[in-house]
Parts: sequence; C-alpha cells; structure tokens
Amino acid sequence: MQYEPGLSRGELIHLATQKYFASVDAKNIDATLACFQDEALFCVQTAFARHSGKAELRRMFEDFFGAWQTIVHHDFTCTVDEKNARITASFEAVLTGHDGSVTRLSNTNFWRVRDGKFQEVYVYMSGGNPLI
Amino acid sequence: MTWSEGGTGQIALPYPFYIDIVTKRYFDGVDNKTLAQVLDCFSADAVLTEVTSNTVHTGRDAGIRAMFEKLFTDFSSIWHGNFVHTADPQSNAVCSQFTVLITPHGGGELRYENCNRFYLKDDKFHRVYVYMSGDNLLQPGDA
Repeated sequence: MQYEPGLSRGELIHLATQKYFASVDAKNIDATLACFQDEALFCVQTAFARHSGKAELRRMFEDFFGAWQTIVHHDFTCTVDEKNARITASFEAVLTGHDGSVTRLSNTNFWRVRDGKFQEVYVYMSGGNPLI
Repeated sequence: MTWSEGGTGQIALPYPFYIDIVTKRYFDGVDNKTLAQVLDCFSADAVLTEVTSNTVHTGRDAGIRAMFEKLFTDFSSIWHGNFVHTADPQSNAVCSQFTVLITPHGGGELRYENCNRFYLKDDKFHRVYVYMSGDNLLQPGDA
C-alpha cells in the first residue's frame, strides 16, 4: 500500500528506534501501542504470523513482555524512503529469559507509516519467532 | 573514507537507479537465469548473506557465482514480484520485500515471502542480506 509522506527522515528514524523500540525495551505497553494506527497490521514474514488491530497487538506485546526478563534492541542501521513514508532497519534483538538464557536475533523490520504512525509492520527474523 | 553499510560518505544515485538495479537488472537476471547480468550488479568483493540460515557467499566471481550456478541448475523456474521498496539514496541502500515463486526440478511450486537489504558501494551491490520465509534456497555452489 502507498501512503502519503509526512514525517521527515529524522522523524521516521526517531519513531522506529526511539519511540517504538525504546518503548518495547522499557516494556511500556501504552507507549508501544501509541506508535500504531488502530487498525495496524503486524506480520512476522519468516513465521507466517499476522496480528491486526490494537487488541491483537496489545495481547501479543503483553505476552512478549512477560516471556522475557529483559528485551534489548540495538545496533540499528536505518534505510529511509521519506517520500514514500517507509523505513527499514536492521538490528540485533537480545532477549534474556527468566532463567538467564540469552537469545540473539539479527532481524530486519519494514515499517509503512500513515499519519505519523505505523500502518503496516513486516518483521523478518534470523531465528524462532517470539512474537506469537 | 572507510566504506560501511549505509554509512556516511556515500555518493547518492538517482532514486530510480535503486529500484531499477533491483528489479530490472538483478531479479530480471535471476528470473531469466542470465548469470552475467546478475553478477554485473555486484562489486568484485561483494558478500551475500542468507541471514535466516547464516549462509555466507563471498566474492562476485567465487562464492556468489557458484551459488547462482547451483540455483539456476536446481530450479526449473524462478519468479520474483510483488515488490515494495525502501530506497534511500542518502545512504546508498535499498531494502526490498517481495514474493518468490520457485519450482525445483521434478517438484511442486514453492512460495516465499522474502526480503533483501542491498548496500551499495558506488553503483554496485557490496553487501546483500537475504531473509527467507522458508528453507534456504541459496546454498553454496559446488565450484
């Protein structure tokens, strides 16, 4: 889907890495969901998993936040298509379990932004899908 | 200046260049098994990594060539389409989502929903990362 451009390059990067991932890492559910449109679509392409709408996203993130002791996303490399309201980022996700075990994933997210919020999110993971 | 993926010091190319090298040159070459056209998209010391299986192919005329020779031999038909791109002249990079329809010899058609991240050095792919929604089809070649 094609969406009207709105956010600047810097604003797109800030939305993806600071507003969104910083909120995920802080397990702040309201701030995380505030990044999404109400009817947003969230797909984990490497696992054929799909979540749509705020209610499904809330359930997914609550389960995700509860499943791990700490969640860290870092080492972002951002690719920005400002005129088409799209941003892609590669990053490492470091997930520490309640037993202390550590899972490291090298992932890529594609975000399509409408009116300043995520309308569509596509996630490609290097390993098992924790976003179920 | 040392090159890095999407790093500073890149020389921006026109926006259409990024879409065209991915679709009209690279994947057109892959789908039509035109090896020279495919390899012409890469720098000599390019590296292609299939991330979901951590398979690394190094060198345009070594590992990458061997990988494509095997791919073209093992599959009777290959199609890439339904593209959505994030093209970024400022960082000299383009990331693409797409559907793959691919048929192994003697087998049924497989459907993948993949993405690639392409980081260019000048006007060639220098680092490429591939994510696949199924088993890795980009295996090391026999060469």
